Amino acid sequence: MTTRRTCGALAAMLIASSALATAAYADAMTMWVRASGANAAAHLVDLWNSTHPDKIELTTIPDNQMVTKLATGVQAGDVPDLVSFDLIYMPDFMKAGFLVDLTADLKANPNYASVAQAYKDIATYEGKLYGAGFTPDVSILVWNKDLFKKAGLDPDKPPQTVGEIHEDAKKIRALGSDTYGFYFSGACPGCNIFATSPMMVAAGSKMLPANGNDDALTGDGVKDVLETFKEMWSEGLVPKSAQTDNGANFTGEFKTGKIGIQGTGGFLLSELKKDVPNLNFGVTFLPGVKEGQVSSFVGGDVVAIPVGSKHVPLAKKFIAWELTDEAQLEGLAKNNIVPSRPALADNKYFAADPRVVVTAKAIGVGYVPWVFHFADMVNSDSSPWINMFQRAIFDGDVDGAIKEGREKMKEIAGQ
Amino acid sequence: MAPALLFVAVFVLIPLGQLVATSLSDRSLLGGGKFIGFANYWRIWNDSSFWRALEFTAKYTLVLTPILIGLGFALALLTVDNTPLKRLTRTIVFLPVVIGLSSSSLLWFWLLDEQVGLLNKLLVDLHLIGEPIVWFATADLAFWAVVISITWKVVGFGMVLFIAGIQSINPDILEAALMDGASYWGRVRLIILPLTRRVLLLTTLVSAIGSMLAFDQFYIMTSGGPRGQTFTAVYWIYQNSFISFKLGYGAALSIVLTFIILVFATMQIALTARSAET
Repeated sequence: MTTRRTCGALAAMLIASSALATAAYADAMTMWVRASGANAAAHLVDLWNSTHPDKIELTTIPDNQMVTKLATGVQAGDVPDLVSFDLIYMPDFMKAGFLVDLTADLKANPNYASVAQAYKDIATYEGKLYGAGFTPDVSILVWNKDLFKKAGLDPDKPPQTVGEIHEDAKKIRALGSDTYGFYFSGACPGCNIFATSPMMVAAGSKMLPANGNDDALTGDGVKDVLETFKEMWSEGLVPKSAQTDNGANFTGEFKTGKIGIQGTGGFLLSELKKDVPNLNFGVTFLPGVKEGQVSSFVGGDVVAIPVGSKHVPLAKKFIAWELTDEAQLEGLAKNNIVPSRPALADNKYFAADPRVVVTAKAIGVGYVPWVFHFADMVNSDSSPWINMFQRAIFDGDVDGAIKEGREKMKEIAGQ
Repeated sequence: MAPALLFVAVFVLIPLGQLVATSLSDRSLLGGGKFIGFANYWRIWNDSSFWRALEFTAKYTLVLTPILIGLGFALALLTVDNTPLKRLTRTIVFLPVVIGLSSSSLLWFWLLDEQVGLLNKLLVDLHLIGEPIVWFATADLAFWAVVISITWKVVGFGMVLFIAGIQSINPDILEAALMDGASYWGRVRLIILPLTRRVLLLTTLVSAIGSMLAFDQFYIMTSGGPRGQTFTAVYWIYQNSFISFKLGYGAALSIVLTFIILVFATMQIALTARSAET
């Protein structure tokens, strides 16, 4: 009898505690984030969880598994309530019907108007909006001020054109055998669409075709930039290791203090400040061929609601919140992450370091290519983009490389 | 019997059936897809990148397999006796086998790095080379870098199998040969080698099939480069299925590769079995 009573009491307690738990987390949401954006997303989610009764449970997905996981999840009806992924997949996901239409909500949101144009463009499909910028990243140019000074250059005057990068790199290379003027990761397609293509775009080129009838790699910017890179490579201004760097050294080289100039991402700033606090470096926009031409690649993650989400209204509330000043400043800027609203670049957290302000403003001048099959055209290890890049720079056949790149990209876009 | 059949059906036959069905469709990783008959297979016929990848995979298999067999057998001969030193040597040679392939590939990727890699530093310090070798700059060098790393990683496995084979030979036979005045190499050639033929077959099969399915080492160490010259067949299947989202085409490629491996494995087993009988 006693045992039965004890069991009964335990069962009652379990039921009660489970009911309490259900009540407490009745509107708990789930969110998937790709690993690269997990750190930044965690700041925002922590802030949301500390200020809202409805909690979000964040799950990190390895970068290269996100597409597979979301695609199979949508088809199986097993998806999170929110998903944060690399923005370049947005066109493919929107076309596949994976995402909930957010047009009415975002257009009615006063903060959405000031979101960087690149995020608005990438999240638009057939006139409808399917997502918002979430944890941004953007490409910039960094230069080592100490090396500039040693080379007799003005440390406060970064190169204004690709030609000036070349000239400055020559002077820095002259400093010694292990000091190099410039660096790029020659076997990394993603690194170069991020840090090199904006130089071409700034010079007026269009990179990728939206469909099979659209042209790829238009304008002289592509050729001008590739020619300059080829010359810098053949003149030995770039370390030999650049040829085989698949991205593993994309951030490591500049930290050594022996690289004069490099195109990179805004994320490098906090890494440099933490890992090599004595490195005296500057940040500027990625330049084009002529003075005054600037651009950047707007990257990072977008946030969207997958079809099948069980808490759509609440998920929409989160997206509206993440665009507010509170989330953008206290969730992102406070943690050295640039906001997706460029107008918030001048804020109290960035005031101490103008380099972060420059980075935040780069989002306002940036581009992101709106294309299907981006991975095929650019990110894949056999993509026409990386093949063109390597053939032009390391084999020296710039015209042949561009011609082949155009043909292959059009072929992929037409699929 | 029934549980075994059920196991095979659930984990082999049904997935294989689904793979065949997928290969006959234009299914995308992003969903959708309709029946397109043998269009994917026709496309494979004209896919020069796949045949190039297959050719590269065959070259890799033909180079690596004899190295693994020869070196494994030689190491087994050297360490077959159970002395403490030889047992220690066996353990050291076998250790890399228990490391994950991805981990060992990353290890070698950094060992061979031209700036911070220990191997380059060693070769420069020994004045064997003037300046560090950029191992992944050319397809040939990248190929040999992977071959070296995989030999280090798996040669211990063949060695252990050969040791087991050699130790299972009746010692009386070897002793009789010794008393008849057979030299060491005579015993190796006429007794040990023929009596370990089954182990040789097993090791060859495992090495050849493993090499034909190579992926991790190239994905991590060469990324298929330079300029796509070190893509293996499985890497190409991965590219199509998960980067280009073409699941249907990837499935068809997988079927073709499976068929090719099956044909070669059957031929190899038949040939070795015939020579064992003679």
